Amino acid sequence: MADAAIALNEPRGRRQRGPLNSAWTGYLLAGPALLAIIAIFVYPLGYSFVMSFFRWDLSAPSAPFIGLNNYTETLTSPLFQQSLHNQLIFTAATIAVEITAGMGVAVLINGKLRGLRAASTLLLIPPMIAPAVVGLNFRWLFNSQYGFIDALLSDLHLPVIPWLSDPNWALVSIIIADVWQNTPLMVLLFLAGLQSLPLEPLEAAAVDGASAWQIFWNITLPLLRPVITVALMLRIIDTFRTFDVVWLMTQGGPGGATSLVTVHAYLLAFQGVDFGHAAAVSYIALVLSLVLLGVLYRLPWLRER
Amino acid sequence: MLKHLSRRRFLQSSATIAASAGVAAPRIARAEATEIKALLITGGPLYPKYWEQIAQDFKKKTGITVNYDLLEFTPLTSKTVTLGAARSGLYDVYSTHTAQIGSFFNHFAPLDEYFKSEELEDFYPVALKYLRNPKTEKLAAIPRNMDARVQYYRKDVYDAHGLKPAATWDDLIHVSQTLTGDGHYGLVVPGQGDPAQRTFSDLLWQAGGEWVDENNKPSFNAAPGVEALTFYRDLIQKYKVTPPDAVSYQWDENSSEFSSGAVFDTFDWPGAYATLSNPATSKVVGKWSTAPYIRNKQAISCAISHAMALNSVSKKKDAAVEFIKFSVGAESQTLNFQDFTNFPSRQSVAKQVVAAAQGEQAAWLGQLEQTIATGKEWPKLPGFSKVCTIMFSAIEKALSNQATPTDALNEAAKESLDAMTQAGAYQ
Repeated sequence: MADAAIALNEPRGRRQRGPLNSAWTGYLLAGPALLAIIAIFVYPLGYSFVMSFFRWDLSAPSAPFIGLNNYTETLTSPLFQQSLHNQLIFTAATIAVEITAGMGVAVLINGKLRGLRAASTLLLIPPMIAPAVVGLNFRWLFNSQYGFIDALLSDLHLPVIPWLSDPNWALVSIIIADVWQNTPLMVLLFLAGLQSLPLEPLEAAAVDGASAWQIFWNITLPLLRPVITVALMLRIIDTFRTFDVVWLMTQGGPGGATSLVTVHAYLLAFQGVDFGHAAAVSYIALVLSLVLLGVLYRLPWLRER
Repeated sequence: MLKHLSRRRFLQSSATIAASAGVAAPRIARAEATEIKALLITGGPLYPKYWEQIAQDFKKKTGITVNYDLLEFTPLTSKTVTLGAARSGLYDVYSTHTAQIGSFFNHFAPLDEYFKSEELEDFYPVALKYLRNPKTEKLAAIPRNMDARVQYYRKDVYDAHGLKPAATWDDLIHVSQTLTGDGHYGLVVPGQGDPAQRTFSDLLWQAGGEWVDENNKPSFNAAPGVEALTFYRDLIQKYKVTPPDAVSYQWDENSSEFSSGAVFDTFDWPGAYATLSNPATSKVVGKWSTAPYIRNKQAISCAISHAMALNSVSKKKDAAVEFIKFSVGAESQTLNFQDFTNFPSRQSVAKQVVAAAQGEQAAWLGQLEQTIATGKEWPKLPGFSKVCTIMFSAIEKALSNQATPTDALNEAAKESLDAMTQAGAYQ
């Protein structure tokens, strides 16, 4: 105690001059970690950014500087425009379904309905499966000859659906696969949020005669704003990175109907061997996802505290 | 220390170092050349054993160890692209393919200086032609086995209906329509990505068209291209003789539809002969036969090849070339045929294999020879790899009725011209 008092009474400048407290010591200690981050994160990021200003084509003998050409070509390319259109539909649809369904299931589980507690353990399974496996499974599930889903529809005397060969149904198919894999994650996130809410406002509202829906809409949901914000952020970031499931289910087809920006970038890089162009596509996608996140932050409902 | 170094002493030391280096260098080179690294193709359970045997036989013969990694076709191509972009020297030797060779002309070392012209004469000319860089005329890879297709049909079903395998486009429609029904389809074709482009390409040539004109400008959107894509689309959408979701099929689905017995006719690669003959992978063993590829105005389809290439930044080129020569040698090609029914790229080996074959297999090999004799491949011009990505989308759009064949091809031709111009195809 006496030592602490002496320490507190020491002149401030003298403590800062100590070797262990100096800023340089901090930099020195953080140095190796910083170097590792620069090597594995900043350098490739910077390198690919620089690459996006060059005609970096593996099949060409040289890689000339072309300024913003890769960016202008990307923005005017019909294939990119189609990918962007698909991306926005995919992002909006998956997030809307996953957040809504995730919240609904979380509320049911939190309501301690019989049997649903055990279900919460099963919910861990889909997010734990590798997206590549999910993609392959859904490719076969949606197969019109051998797939389980069309067989079921046929047994029920319902019309079979051309899941992967019709452009509109193909987009629905990849949305279903993504919803199947990621909704459980939303459930777990919202369940954790629901279980950490204070009980007093909910009980007071019930005593005042509010219905279950009124309590949920006017108290529970506003109290869950921080969790919903995090969930939305995670899903926006994730949908702009979605690749494996789509690639294994449709390869972006038919005719680009399910091509997301990642699929478009992959085709440019690994089939078209045009790395500069692919890098530009990736950076445009990055900017778009940042813009969406910025818009999300500015939504009045989410900013209220 | 430097103060005491006289000129004489400096020269003496330099001479000693130079002499030591001179004596040591060949030893170091020899030591390096006892081990090389290769990225090789696999697919199916037999491939690892095949490469193991090739590597062992090669070591016995030369004393050189081949450390290799195996990857299936698509990941192998992606990895080669990545390593090529990084100018990596990780592998000395690569498995490659005519279909992708245009992307790797800068990454693979020309092989002309390592092969005498009389050695090259033994390979099928069509295989060598499309493995050459059209700009430099240098050979970027050497063919290991030929990839060409023939028709595989259900002989039992055809005989029961009194049908003969289709020889022309019109026959194909008639025969397939006759056999479609009761949950079965007369035909299966792939409709997605590279397999769709490969199918369109065959039909384009059969309709009398070409990918590019004499100035290397896209010409696939001319009348023969439209005729080819219309026929291709109509098989799926108008005549409905294929499974309805053929638009989403790759080679795997294409083969499995036939081997499962759901479909009665398909066009497949040489490897299908072994797969369809094996009860573990086929439900139609003993029920099928082969026939020549269909024709229209011309009888042309692709004749491409799996090949071996040398990394241009390899530091062990001599040893690597020895392995490449061994892996495309007569012994290795014979083994490749025995294990996988892969058709040899050396005409001398092909002649032996054909002479030794009997019955159905002899007929099949004759049909393959026929395909190879008239076979072609799409051009390997700068930017054509990007044209392929444009074509994937265009063909799928037409096949899934999102665009008419004319609109899809015109749009693709416009984009292809831009892509090839940017890549320097017309400089």
